[in-house]
Amino acid sequence: MEAGLSTKNAPSVWVVVPHFLIGAIGLLIASVFSVVHYDHFLGYHITPEILSITHLMILGWVIMVIFGALYQLIPVVMEVKLYSEKLAYATLVIMVFGVFFLVSGFLKFDFKFTHNIAMGGTFIIIAVLLFAINTLKSAAASPKKSISRLYIIASGLYLLLNVSLGLFMVMNMSYHWLPIAHTQFLKTHLVVGLAGWFLMLIIGVAARLMPMFLIVHKTREDLLKKGFYLINAGVLMAFVLAWIPNYPTLLFALSLLLVLAGVILFLWFNYDVFSKRMRKKLDAGMKPTAVALSILALATLAFIAVYIGDAFFGLPAGRLEILAGILMIYGFFTGLIFGQTYKTLPFIIWLFYYQKLVGKQKTPLPGQMYNSKLVNLHTYSFVVTILLFIIGLLFSIKYVVLAATLVMLFTNTVYAINASKLIFHKKQTK
Amino acid sequence: MIQTQFSAEEQKVLDILKQVPDPEVEVNIVDLGLIYVVSINDEAKTLEVDMTLSTPGCPVGDSIMQHVQTVLEVNFPGYEVKVNLVWEPQWTPDLITDEGRAQLNQ
Repeated sequence: MEAGLSTKNAPSVWVVVPHFLIGAIGLLIASVFSVVHYDHFLGYHITPEILSITHLMILGWVIMVIFGALYQLIPVVMEVKLYSEKLAYATLVIMVFGVFFLVSGFLKFDFKFTHNIAMGGTFIIIAVLLFAINTLKSAAASPKKSISRLYIIASGLYLLLNVSLGLFMVMNMSYHWLPIAHTQFLKTHLVVGLAGWFLMLIIGVAARLMPMFLIVHKTREDLLKKGFYLINAGVLMAFVLAWIPNYPTLLFALSLLLVLAGVILFLWFNYDVFSKRMRKKLDAGMKPTAVALSILALATLAFIAVYIGDAFFGLPAGRLEILAGILMIYGFFTGLIFGQTYKTLPFIIWLFYYQKLVGKQKTPLPGQMYNSKLVNLHTYSFVVTILLFIIGLLFSIKYVVLAATLVMLFTNTVYAINASKLIFHKKQTK
Repeated sequence: MIQTQFSAEEQKVLDILKQVPDPEVEVNIVDLGLIYVVSINDEAKTLEVDMTLSTPGCPVGDSIMQHVQTVLEVNFPGYEVKVNLVWEPQWTPDLITDEGRAQLNQ
């Protein structure tokens, strides 16, 4: 029997699954921190507590799970074997140490380049470098020269650029190498991180998976090609501006507009796929995904509002920045990961337990290995969390923000329970 | 090539293959239109199936083919079963049967 193309390229279950487990732990710690320090959401956004929560969410949860998921998805998207599983294990261990030291450093934050931040930042840069090598080497060996591959390569390079920029920013606060305000670097850190790394990665993977999951054959790839140029132009422009003291504000606005145009094209691509889909009913994994894509539109609006408030009305940084950050990091990234967990994790675990048993014994299907009712529950409570954050932060109501953090903790716990059900799956055969 | 006419015996093979689901979409591979050709030779005791996958990157492709191989070996004892993976013509959603479309949206 001739082998199919992708299963033989699939990585070991042991490469992928620990990322989801550690990611869920990172998410839960960040959620508990959020409840304990809920009042900080109503204040200035650069505080030890907010920095700890943000970095736990981004590095300990979002990037952790994305690393794991990508090791599984690279073979699907690029039709190639992952370059090195050993490198993937090394990346994971170094990343865990990095997040631990960085967050513990932030908790003692006094705008100094502390020992822990230096060590954490260095570990993270090494981990990201190893991850980038693994991704880029896999991409180089890929026979499929698609737009997906191009987006994923670009996102790997931006990730590397962004962690280096993050570390430089913190060091510059202590050593003052360049006479540039840390807030100027922070703007670029956000643009490169959100648009360069995360958005481009999501577009690269979604370009391949959304049509696959929804059964659509003819997609508007032309929109993604145009988007690729626009987002790259915007991100590179923001990066260059970071190094120019007192650059004209309008130039930064232009870089954001370019990224925004790319986001609109991506949303248009998805709308086209959704409207042409043969599989009308959304399954457990696609519901949170659809919610997350809607929140992306909302997060984009919030960032535009932040920018207009800052550039044209001189509003001080504060609640709106935090709301925009929550909509992007929790609303979009986390919502998307919640949904895509159920489109990736069950399959690698199912292959591990049942691949050799199909046809010989009755086996469950991947969709029967988790509780769909729990998926619906954490999707509804996720929407409630977002609504509470929007109301609490816009109207500055302390107890609504507290309620938002509590519902967020509940949501994330339900997700973690369901993910654990998958991770610690017990073989079922009849 | 996609076979459009099936003998009674070949139809029996298709009915058996309806036990094999695509684990992702949870619809059987016959109604998804993944089976292109079925040929049985009773004298030589051979059974050959040409099938495709909905995408070359299909992460569960091998397990679907393994499933096809196993159910045919169990149901046609004594036959040499051969499952060929083909990519021409390329699968499109138009190949899904009405029954498959109904199952997709249940």
